[in-house]
Amino acid sequence: MINLVQILIEGALIGLVYGLVAISFVVIYRASRIVNLAQGEILVVGALVLWTFTLGTAQAGYHIPFVVSIALTVGACILFGLALERFVFRPLISQPAFSIFMASVALLILLRGLAQLIWGAETRSFPAIFMEGGFTVGPFLINTRLFLGGVCTLLLAFGLHAFFTRTRQGLRLAAVAENHDIALSLGISVRWAIAVAWILGTVVATCGAVVLLSGRIISLDVATIGFKALPVALLGGLESIRGAPLAGIVIGIGEVLAMAYLDPLTKGAASGLLPYAVMIAVLLVRPQGFFGWKRIERL
Amino acid sequence: MLPTGVHSLTYADDARILRTSRARHWLAALVVALLAYPAFAGPYMLGVFTHLFITLMAVYGLYVTVGMAGQINVAQSAFVGVGAFATAKLSGYEIHFMLVIPLAALITGFVSIFFALPAARVKGFYLALTTLAAQVVFPIIILALPTEWLGGLVGMSVEPIRMGGLTLGAPIHFYYFTLVVVALLTVAAFNLKRSRFGRAMIAVRDNDVVAEVMGVPVFRTKVLAFFVGSLFAGVAGACTAYFLQFVTVASFTLFASVWYLGMLIVGGVHSPLGAILGVAFITFLQEGLHAFANTLMQSGASGGVLFALTSVALGGCILIALIFEPRGLAHRWSVARTTFQLWPFPRN
Repeated sequence: MINLVQILIEGALIGLVYGLVAISFVVIYRASRIVNLAQGEILVVGALVLWTFTLGTAQAGYHIPFVVSIALTVGACILFGLALERFVFRPLISQPAFSIFMASVALLILLRGLAQLIWGAETRSFPAIFMEGGFTVGPFLINTRLFLGGVCTLLLAFGLHAFFTRTRQGLRLAAVAENHDIALSLGISVRWAIAVAWILGTVVATCGAVVLLSGRIISLDVATIGFKALPVALLGGLESIRGAPLAGIVIGIGEVLAMAYLDPLTKGAASGLLPYAVMIAVLLVRPQGFFGWKRIERL
Repeated sequence: MLPTGVHSLTYADDARILRTSRARHWLAALVVALLAYPAFAGPYMLGVFTHLFITLMAVYGLYVTVGMAGQINVAQSAFVGVGAFATAKLSGYEIHFMLVIPLAALITGFVSIFFALPAARVKGFYLALTTLAAQVVFPIIILALPTEWLGGLVGMSVEPIRMGGLTLGAPIHFYYFTLVVVALLTVAAFNLKRSRFGRAMIAVRDNDVVAEVMGVPVFRTKVLAFFVGSLFAGVAGACTAYFLQFVTVASFTLFASVWYLGMLIVGGVHSPLGAILGVAFITFLQEGLHAFANTLMQSGASGGVLFALTSVALGGCILIALIFEPRGLAHRWSVARTTFQLWPFPRN
């Protein structure tokens, strides 16, 4: 029994990390109606930028205070978001969904290639931003890094939810998520919305990288987390920010349960398959996920 | 645009693909050139062309699913993989290759139907997500199955094709073999647009709500679009398996799927000519980059540079195509042709 609860706790904490990456995915969709498959690559680029401003500059002999590194990283994320808006997505405003989807696919391989050209393919250690180790609550051991990450995820989810539903700017973004043309006709700047979407998405993805990688090894393969976050975003509802952590917990717990009880029987396949089986089931049963918008079509 | 004096007297005449004798002569010249090519080329270039033909088969499949029916498919490489593994397995049972290739195509088609079923409830990029699931799940399943079934991590060797007394092994054999197969598939791809099913797919692509109202069975058409697209992928997989004589999961990645989609977009999604132009353009671009990366490596760059360069080049090509010419090279080609035909008068 204690074993089971321990597994559930671990699953929920890992699930919150998926939830955080899923939030970065949802934020972009919720503000600009762009499905971004390249989220994993964005996370890796964010992580590499943070590495450059911390350990990278330290190796080159310049010691930057930590607060300045964070500020530089956020600045780089903002520049990155603005550049994506200007050069990739501004020309595609109110183009068919197919073009925008394919642009994100192109971005996926472009960013992977650029990351490899700029930073090289070697693995490097990521700065330890959260303290390592764990603490015990009764008989249960809790990983400090994942716990703090989970707290960040929940705070971010509620903060962003308030931004999107309570502020004037956030409500404008909702109109853009509904339809580019209608938003434009109401006088809302879709360009601005897309820039905000990408800046938020990049910053949140970098937070995800910090939680996921703090004190560990970073390589280009980390980007596969992006595809794990997709089923999470879909289960929570693509338009719902608060849905993402909840769906993350569901999928995280399902994954560790499958890992503990089914993997020995299936050579480790069950936990890998589970998120995607959930994804197909969601699409068949309830395509809008837990809290997504249900779209009605008219002729 | 047609030259002056070409008239259609019947509907069949109007629907013909090669309408002028000049078009037929150019096609004959192309066929002769492709048949005579091995006399002038070394084994390396023959390998490049064989690879190009196999890629073209897979991209024809994408043209059907994405270009005609408008359903995004980011798992074409996984479907090619299904075809390749089916071929490897079937060839082990001493089945004749003329039977193996259609069987592999059918198996691939039926696998794809499973991932097309959510089309009953969702559309657009949601459907793309199920194909993404197919692509991600494919290696997990292959690796989890018992090793004696599909080779697991190691991969499977493929029995070579035996035709009479001849065992296919040399590059020139595969060049002619894939040339024949790709010629058959080209005929299929060009004619699909003229069939009832092809028109149904185009209606679904343009507006599926309207198509439903007009009496097109939308769900069935979408599922069949995936099925037919995967038949092409299965044939491509069979040819890959016979060509490489060994299949492993590692060759059928998401990146390969993106490459196929990228080729189709650069060429133009709405015509099989786009598939041909896109595959040729990207393949030769890749060969150029290959040569460039080799010179870089001689001056001391690392080995991953080639992969990174090709990724950047393809990503850039897709973005440029989407932003500046969404109709692709095929449209540029028709513009150039019209300009030539109308010269010296301006094209408008």
